[in-house]
Amino acid sequence: MKQLIRLTVNDREYEVGVDPNTTLVDLLRGHLGLTGTKKGCDLGDCGACTVLLDGKAVNSCLVLAVQAGDRTVQTIEGLETAQGLHPLQQAFIEKGAIQCGFCSSGMILSAKELLDRSPHPAEPEIRRAISGNLCRCTGYQKIIEAIKDAAR
Amino acid sequence: MILPKFEFHEPTSISDACELMARHRGEARLLAGGTDLLVNMKKKVLNPKRLVSLGRIPELTQVERSNGTLWIGAGATVSAIAASAMVARDASALGLGARALGTPLIRNLATIGGNIGSARPAADLPPALIVYGAVLVLRSVAGERRLPIGEFFKGPGLTAAHEDELIAAVVIQVPAGYAGAGYLNLGVRKAQDCNIVNVASYLELDGRAEVIRAARVALGSVGPTPLRSPSAEAVLIGQKPTEALFDLAADAAQRDCMPILDFRGSAEYRRDMVGVLARRTLTMALAEARSRN
Ligand SMILES: Cc1cc2nc3c(=O)[nH]c(=O)nc-3n(C[C@H](O)[C@H](O)[C@H](O)COP(=O)(O)OP(=O)(O)OC[C@H]3O[C@@H](n4cnc5c(N)ncnc54)[C@H](O)[C@@H]3O)c2cc1C
Ligand code: FES
Ligand code: FES
Repeated sequence: MKQLIRLTVNDREYEVGVDPNTTLVDLLRGHLGLTGTKKGCDLGDCGACTVLLDGKAVNSCLVLAVQAGDRTVQTIEGLETAQGLHPLQQAFIEKGAIQCGFCSSGMILSAKELLDRSPHPAEPEIRRAISGNLCRCTGYQKIIEAIKDAAR
Repeated sequence: MILPKFEFHEPTSISDACELMARHRGEARLLAGGTDLLVNMKKKVLNPKRLVSLGRIPELTQVERSNGTLWIGAGATVSAIAASAMVARDASALGLGARALGTPLIRNLATIGGNIGSARPAADLPPALIVYGAVLVLRSVAGERRLPIGEFFKGPGLTAAHEDELIAAVVIQVPAGYAGAGYLNLGVRKAQDCNIVNVASYLELDGRAEVIRAARVALGSVGPTPLRSPSAEAVLIGQKPTEALFDLAADAAQRDCMPILDFRGSAEYRRDMVGVLARRTLTMALAEARSRN
């Protein structure tokens, strides 16, 4: 039986009916059309599905949509403002930290959680913060440089 | 990967959760962070008819210290435990276990109750909890009972909890002066990895005379449950802490484990690493004990 939930995604309120076995990543991508969040392994291993749930970076493939009811979700689509791209997004472009882009939403959101909590992190802190996000093409060095750049 | 269908409940108090678990005894499972359970459901290892979520029960997430005990609600996330200054000071080995678990993304979801409840032999939090002598507060409609964590694990995925019982909290007696602990885990990578071996040690010294009054060593990933090492503990108690003594204790710990061979490592390698990690965690425990007086 579908359950009616209310949640805030990128500052917009939604009211949706979901089956209990729908995951948050499927709600975002399939029902709300927010396909910037990627789905790789669907098992918590790759971090492609990373979103911020009440400000904390989590694997949205391991959260039920119903568990996100009455909570606040931020996805990659919510980072750009009227002033333009988020400094992290800009730095990823400038430092060549994106190739196929499949890991980028997750990388950027993990980095955002870090910078929100610790605006000038040391490199080991950056490496730790993205240790749940796998990249199969760029290599991590440029990603780390981009995050350092955004923190400057 | 499609999750099997289930009925979903979200109680807002521990007693309502107990009520639901009793009413649906045998067909309901507790859902905390979901990082173990949802993976098992996606892989079709488990197929519960109902899930009772603990995610909206504020009384389950408390972490507080009173009268020399540390009370950690079962719903406390691993990241909250990793970040807690109180845990770092009063139960440092637990803090190390929390920092070693999974990835930042997993730690933001995973709970201490789920780490214990899943009863994985390689789990990161049980060894430290065992050496601190932690006690589990179990709740059901029948009331509350307390069980030392060492009596809780019965085998991979198997526990002493009744079908309708939940872990409400973990209670640790804050170690006295001249007591300390250490925890180390060995995997193939630093993050996102299942442990090959993980060990926690605890030492309590007899004040300045520096005789070991109490010693506990717990070994993970080398048996069907986390194991105490009675032989290592017997070697240590009543002696002065020296490197030579820790070598003897490490050898004894190797005799108490029952490692298996799998793709992560051979049984021989695991047994050797039990010795290495036992020696190193004893050294950590001694350093902390000397600094806490
Ligand atoms: C990518 C990945 C990496 C991981 N790495 C590690 C690691 O390095 N170290 C490690 O130890 N684990 C690891 N895990 C396993 C898992 O994340 C942890 O065991 C976690 O602590 C489980 O907690 P949870 O709250 O998510 O539990 P859930 O998945 O919600 O529950 C797990 C089990 O415990 C039961 N349960 C939950 N809460 C309670 C309660 N209060 N009382 C009684 N029973 C309860 C549930 O019914 C279920 O059977 C990893 C998992 C993933 C997906
Ligand atoms: S899709 Fe969620 S972690 Fe891989
Ligand atoms: S850019 Fe392709 S996976 Fe990272």
